[in-house]
Amino acid sequence: MSDFLSESFFHNFNIQENIQEETGNLVSYIKGNVINPIFPDFPMELGTVLAMLVCAGIFVAVVPLLPLVLVLAERKVAARFQNRTGPMRVGPWGTLQTLADGIKLIFKEDFIPQQGDKLLFRLAPYIMFACSFAVFAAIPFGQNILVSDFNIGIFYIMAISSVIVMGVIMAGWSSNSKWSLLGSLRSAAQIVSYEIPLGLSILTVIMLVESLGMREIVENQSGGIFTWLIFRTPFTFIAFFVFFISAIAEVNRTPFDLPEAESEIVAGFHTEYSGMRFALFFIAEYANMFAVSAIGVTLFLGGYEGILPGYDFLGGLPGFVLKTLGLVFVMMWLRWTLPRLRVDQLMNLCWKYFIPISFFNILGTGIWGLIFKDDDVWSMGISCAIIYVCLIGVYAVAGRNLARRPEPQTSSA
Amino acid sequence: MDKYIRNIYKGVYTVLVGMRITIRQFFEPNVTHQYPYEHDFEKKQNVREIPKGYRGQLYNRIEDCIGCKKCELICPVDCITIIGDKLPKGEQLWDSMNVVHLKDGREVIGIIEGDDKKIMSEDAMTITNITTRLGPQEVIDRLEASGDENRTETLSTEEVSRVVTRNPVVFYLDQFDIDMSLCMYCGLCTEVCPTQCLVMKDSLEGIEYSSFDRTDLIFNFDKQEMYKKDDAENTEVVEA
Repeated sequence: MSDFLSESFFHNFNIQENIQEETGNLVSYIKGNVINPIFPDFPMELGTVLAMLVCAGIFVAVVPLLPLVLVLAERKVAARFQNRTGPMRVGPWGTLQTLADGIKLIFKEDFIPQQGDKLLFRLAPYIMFACSFAVFAAIPFGQNILVSDFNIGIFYIMAISSVIVMGVIMAGWSSNSKWSLLGSLRSAAQIVSYEIPLGLSILTVIMLVESLGMREIVENQSGGIFTWLIFRTPFTFIAFFVFFISAIAEVNRTPFDLPEAESEIVAGFHTEYSGMRFALFFIAEYANMFAVSAIGVTLFLGGYEGILPGYDFLGGLPGFVLKTLGLVFVMMWLRWTLPRLRVDQLMNLCWKYFIPISFFNILGTGIWGLIFKDDDVWSMGISCAIIYVCLIGVYAVAGRNLARRPEPQTSSA
Repeated sequence: MDKYIRNIYKGVYTVLVGMRITIRQFFEPNVTHQYPYEHDFEKKQNVREIPKGYRGQLYNRIEDCIGCKKCELICPVDCITIIGDKLPKGEQLWDSMNVVHLKDGREVIGIIEGDDKKIMSEDAMTITNITTRLGPQEVIDRLEASGDENRTETLSTEEVSRVVTRNPVVFYLDQFDIDMSLCMYCGLCTEVCPTQCLVMKDSLEGIEYSSFDRTDLIFNFDKQEMYKKDDAENTEVVEA
């Protein structure tokens, strides 16, 4: 225990040095350009803390706007998939609908079940909210637009986003309702299971980059679209899809929305919540959705690096946001395409398919790394060629299958 | 192992097929009418034709109304309010128009030359001063602005199924209100109307006249400007 808390332990992870010497992130930018000119007499540590508070303020102000946009986008996209128009009344083309809903939720009664565990009931939404926000601290939105460049960035994200399941379980347990409890148990089982293929897919990226820092991962992909990690090896190509589907399961979206299945358990773990606490769950859910998409973009799709190498307009922020919203759109697209899985199908998919495929990916990436020691044109060319050939092959087989549909089976007995 | 890989392939393939179907729907035009704001949905294709004789909104050709109050009496929900001054006995303002029903479903409203009570026994009739022609599927079109040649028509009696005779207009109508928010669309008022000036619109505008204010559904058909005001006070005969 004493060893755990000793200086050398922190020294190994460079945490202390990071706080004081880190440059090129949002905190140091604010400190150098805002705090120091205004308060030149401040001691350096106080300036750093102040800059951190300003940073946190920016994120607390900006990140709740994401769900505001995403909820509206979700409703509009859902409407388009069903040939509807979606909300149209509040504001021009219904753009203020989410704001109106939010105001309505604030004014609603804050209901707490009498038989429930009141402390946990109050605490649960904040845990979920705080955790989904803390993830944003390590996501590089642009060249210098990230709060802190940890050397354990992706590890931190994995750790923090796992705590969300604590909030879910607390909400389900403290509500003293069978729907809530069932929903939270399902959610726990699902998140814990899908954490494994998620982590293993991330591991393939880490093996190639040889770093856990988010910025290093992005800068490793700075040479245009073919250096993006998704195209670097055929195995990361598969890993990306495993990651993305696991991420969808992680944020409890259709087709993996068993924890909130309306037709089975009303609303799952937030059945008993109302008013602002429900809104917090809602915001956390959509912030999560954006966060996992952002992580997917950072790890596999080049982060803030563009399709062409020499691109850094606004530090790559617009490109990053566009790519992330693209992945969010695919999530919505899948939601309106696929029906909900059964619990056993859910577990089958994870343990029988994703985890073996993930191990196969790790093995393959390792071998690939041994064969091609440096990432040069050859390795990328071969990788892209293999991906291309495989896709063509799948497409050809699919076309043949489509051409000869199986005959309807008749009982010949 | 073979089954395992086949399963993966099947899963990926069926998901892609499903996604292709949904993304096609994404780019289809939407079918929503922004209803209270967007009234002109006769342009949209999924509105069916309205059959002749549909009981739509009530409409009164006030020039032909003789003020007999039969509609007001028969209305089961009392949605018609008529206030009028009767002329002295033996005097009249003008005659109401003839309504000629043709066998092909059209209606012509004008004045038949000669004695309209015996016109069906003759071979042909000439209708002058035609104000309105009603086609089977047309909105009421008034011909007030068109030339004289349009306002005369000669028809053989074989084409005509029914003729509504002229009646003398003996009332100054100060008020003719129909509250369509009360109307139950039974159509009794149109059946008792002796001049067939009270009709139900069997067109789109007779179906769709919603409003945000209930008072907008009280329709005033009285037209004070068709009387000469001084004469109306003296209750004298006015030329047609």
